Amino acid sequence: MQSKFLLLLLFWVPSLYAADSKLVRDGVELFVSARSVEQIRAFYGARGMPPNALQELAKVCFLTVGLKNNRAETLWLEPTRWRFIDLNGEPIKRIMRQEWKARWDALQVPLAAQSTFGWSQLPESRDLYPEETVGGNISLLPPEGHFSLIASFRTGSSGDGKVLELTIPNLSCSRLGAIP
Amino acid sequence: MMTRLFKVLMLLVLFGSSSTYAMEPPPGMIKLDGRPAPALKLGDMDGKVVDLAQRRGHWVLVHFWATWCGPCRREMPTLAQLIKVLPAERLNVYLVNTADTEDDVFTFLATVSPELSSLMDRDGQVTERWQPRGLPASFLVDPQGRLRYLVLGGRDWVSAPYLKFLTELTAK
Repeated sequence: MQSKFLLLLLFWVPSLYAADSKLVRDGVELFVSARSVEQIRAFYGARGMPPNALQELAKVCFLTVGLKNNRAETLWLEPTRWRFIDLNGEPIKRIMRQEWKARWDALQVPLAAQSTFGWSQLPESRDLYPEETVGGNISLLPPEGHFSLIASFRTGSSGDGKVLELTIPNLSCSRLGAIP
Repeated sequence: MMTRLFKVLMLLVLFGSSSTYAMEPPPGMIKLDGRPAPALKLGDMDGKVVDLAQRRGHWVLVHFWATWCGPCRREMPTLAQLIKVLPAERLNVYLVNTADTEDDVFTFLATVSPELSSLMDRDGQVTERWQPRGLPASFLVDPQGRLRYLVLGGRDWVSAPYLKFLTELTAK
């Protein structure tokens, strides 16, 4: 029971969120927390991911992202407009949903596990109303050393308002290791 | 004569529709374009099957959720309260669990809202068809089977703005 509660906390509960990094600026609250291989294995393993799929998950860097819109207007969550860069300013590749889907199909991952994986990822596009929150995982090819997130947000109901840019530096990924 | 009657009927239909859907929804509720709701025919944990197509004539709230989602835990008790306040003749509420096991759903509901039961989307494919954009998410389906509103994230369904809106909406 305790482990289930801990798993529940793995995903976006703003008030209880043990964020590695939190930035509050311009009416935007942005949380980023790197997940350990063990956390990811426990969560997805308990939801039907077979061992070969868990091995794939262990190879990448998982960040849980939470976002709250404290502005009086719509805030657009669009991770395709975000950049992850390493200490040399080089871009870090994000692993996209369709890439995961291809991997899961190749590994014959059960549809239920694929579904849970998909819904636990950060949405690719969401118009956040005032006071609205959203959260989910985002995955990267593991970078060497620390890295930064430069998150860009459009605002306004049509997205044609001021563009906000928030930077979270000094992020790091969990130690990578093979799953026994 | 028939043409005139038809025109009057059309005006009444249009006026009736526009007045119903002109109501301003509370914060966090998004107006949809009235496209037909996707099919939904699922069984609950006891094997009782619900087919949305057979619920025409009623407003229906379809709530997608999962045991691992934090906001779902906060929202669920307010859905249980809503069911008590608005009878099924006004609003049918159906919970659809996305891809969890029966054990997980049973444990979750027993601790959070024991009075609720949920339909089981065992492989998550019904949820995929509905595309709620995130979990939890709730669709309000009108008596003609069309998607009218979407509510994202955990909401308090018995808060004054929500209850007032739903009471007025389902009174028509």
